[in-house]
Amino acid sequence: MSVTAIPRGSILGRRSVTRHRNIYIAAAASAVLLLMMIPVIPWIQLTGTDALFEAMKLKASAIKKLGNSYSVFTFLSFVQDSKQGVLGLWSFILLPVGAAAAAFHLWGLILFLARNRLAEKKGLLAMYSRFQCGMVFSFLLAAGTIGLVIFANSHYGLNGFAAGIPAYATLAVSAAGYLASKRMEKQERIICREHGFVEEFRRNWILFLFLVPCFLFFLINNYLPMAGVYFAFTQFNFKDSLFASPFVGFKNFEFLLHSEILHLTTNTILYNVVFIVLGNVLQIFFAILISQVMNKHLKKTAQTMIFMPYFVSFVILRVLVFNVFEYDVGLFNNFLTGLGRPKVDFYNTPGYWPWIITFFYLWKNIGYGMVVYLATITGISSEYYEAAQIDGASIYQQIRYITVPLLKPTFIILLLYALGGIMKGQFELFYQLVGNNGTLFSTTDIFDTYVYRITTTQPLSMGLGTAAGLFQSLFGFVVILLTNFLIRRKNPEYALF
Amino acid sequence: MKHRNQTGIGFTIGKGVLLTILSIICVLPFIVIISGSFTSNQEILRNGFSVLPRDVTAEAYKTIFKTPEDIFQAYKMNVYYTAIGTALGLMIITLTAYVISRREFKYRNTVSFLIYFTTIFGGGMIPWYLMYANVLNLRGTTLAIWFPALMTPFLVILMRTFIIGAVPDAVVESAKIDGAGHWRIFWQIVLPVLGPGLATVGLFQALGYWNDWYRSSMFSTSSQTWSLQFYLYDLVNSTQAMRQMAQYANVNTADLPTQSVKLAMSVVATGPILILYPFVQRYFVSGITVGAVKG
Repeated sequence: MSVTAIPRGSILGRRSVTRHRNIYIAAAASAVLLLMMIPVIPWIQLTGTDALFEAMKLKASAIKKLGNSYSVFTFLSFVQDSKQGVLGLWSFILLPVGAAAAAFHLWGLILFLARNRLAEKKGLLAMYSRFQCGMVFSFLLAAGTIGLVIFANSHYGLNGFAAGIPAYATLAVSAAGYLASKRMEKQERIICREHGFVEEFRRNWILFLFLVPCFLFFLINNYLPMAGVYFAFTQFNFKDSLFASPFVGFKNFEFLLHSEILHLTTNTILYNVVFIVLGNVLQIFFAILISQVMNKHLKKTAQTMIFMPYFVSFVILRVLVFNVFEYDVGLFNNFLTGLGRPKVDFYNTPGYWPWIITFFYLWKNIGYGMVVYLATITGISSEYYEAAQIDGASIYQQIRYITVPLLKPTFIILLLYALGGIMKGQFELFYQLVGNNGTLFSTTDIFDTYVYRITTTQPLSMGLGTAAGLFQSLFGFVVILLTNFLIRRKNPEYALF
Repeated sequence: MKHRNQTGIGFTIGKGVLLTILSIICVLPFIVIISGSFTSNQEILRNGFSVLPRDVTAEAYKTIFKTPEDIFQAYKMNVYYTAIGTALGLMIITLTAYVISRREFKYRNTVSFLIYFTTIFGGGMIPWYLMYANVLNLRGTTLAIWFPALMTPFLVILMRTFIIGAVPDAVVESAKIDGAGHWRIFWQIVLPVLGPGLATVGLFQALGYWNDWYRSSMFSTSSQTWSLQFYLYDLVNSTQAMRQMAQYANVNTADLPTQSVKLAMSVVATGPILILYPFVQRYFVSGITVGAVKG
């Protein structure tokens, strides 16, 4: 560590020879690890199969389907064919670990191939950090596989499984590769004058301390539950305990595909499209109107009143809607009776509910969006309007040619955020208005209500519910990535990330 | 904006009428609920709900507070959840926001992305539920009801925007030169000028907690831990269910728990919000305005 202040120029000097050799070592290690992950290479071997199959209580027909050795990526098929749900979660978690390892190795190798084109300054540091991430994940994958074998053997009380040579080789290569590339990185950091994690931690340890609660929260609330998507591939039941329900592959998804998924998807998307379009149009419309009110007091009062529904809980909304549309004493039917017309049975007629739900969505949310647009309008320089007035523009022309075009950026940002959430339903709204009233589901059931119903009333279908939730999550995720990609190409300023 | 006085009379009337209509639509339901809560139950059953109270009586409120134990318990729990959730949440949101607002922090973008990522992908409701209910075994505890809402990515980003706006980089830099560490900078420089940000984020947080029924419905095992909204939900639901049963069984609906009590409960449950609303509205407006500006 005596070399702390090497001038930049020395990159081209003697040091660069070792530097090049080091780069090849890192890349070679990565390539080897990547090759070792090819699914035909046996990571887990079945030994002493007779005793093992007996312990698993397998029939001859089931045994026929099984092979002698499996890779980490195909082991789940063993879990499914042999109906050993106990091993499911563990082998399932190895999949994303393996995928991450592969992704980082590939990324590192791509940077390696393009290293000459990268800026000399930080490009190689990025490459090393990809390689290192790849090594860490490879190590975890190998350790996880060996752990799985040990766990399985102790579960059945016999030596039925053995980790293959590739697993141990990966363990060794990744550990060595990590240490080697760490050393190279250290040199590289000195050359590039970039500090690493340890140095950052020494300088800003208090910031890391500040982050501890945040880290714990998102870990418990968001990241750990992500592993739970495993339940989407199981036939969930409490008898086999939480983590040992049978692994059934894509059966839940097949079932959904044949029953609910189409109408849940269309319902969720259609409602959201209507909410986005109508919501924004009305919000802009009323924001413009209210911005034209000159009396400050009136303006404030109107805004206060329009914003108020946003603060009401959805349970109160339920009471309200029930009061309006109830058959016997509801306000609406009361009104109809007054006119001498027959009553309408809203709570048994699905056709009315899209209108009712849309209306109350708008009722609750116009104020919020209006405030956003109003802020933009207030920010428009009054000089534009003055100039337009001098040119004799009418108020309509001023709105059409000044206000509306200047609202466009805000509109686009809000639209993009909304598009990102196109698969996320307004759960509280739908659930509180419709509840468990099955007659209305055909027009009102969305993913969120469906999953909630399963969680609270049909615990045995939890696998199915998780599958629906996972489909919703993935679909939404893809939509966001696509939207973001398209925007980034067209107009990077609006990109979400 | 004052200079725009060339508006036609038609426009003036038009905007007045439209805004009035919208304002009335927004407020009318509240009036219906309040006046319904002061109407006698027989009157509601005979003539239905109406906008103005007829046959004014405080009977419903008397009924509620005749056996106040349940509602007091729900109120108490709601205040507890709101207080602890807002206080704790506000603290960890501000700490996090401070960290990701510091330019010199190397992993600023990584942390921001990890927080943002939770909004674009998640395991879904069931894994989330199982995490709390079966893995951590928190069903029936109050912890399960306030913990899951401590932070939201939106509020963290909002708070970061507030911090960047309130504390210029130069101030932090000069404090550092004078030898202040992050601990001191946070408590003695950032927090004292963060009043509006704290108020806004805290109010969003408090509103969320006050109006929550969902976590009570998922994690409660007894009515002792119900939040106020879920208590109301249960009350409304059971009368609704009974009404439906009565319809099928041809029982006189007048014998059922009263309509006006339901409405009075709604008023009691919303009360604090409607009373505080005019005073805190501007904080929400400022929060929405700041949050809408991407940054």
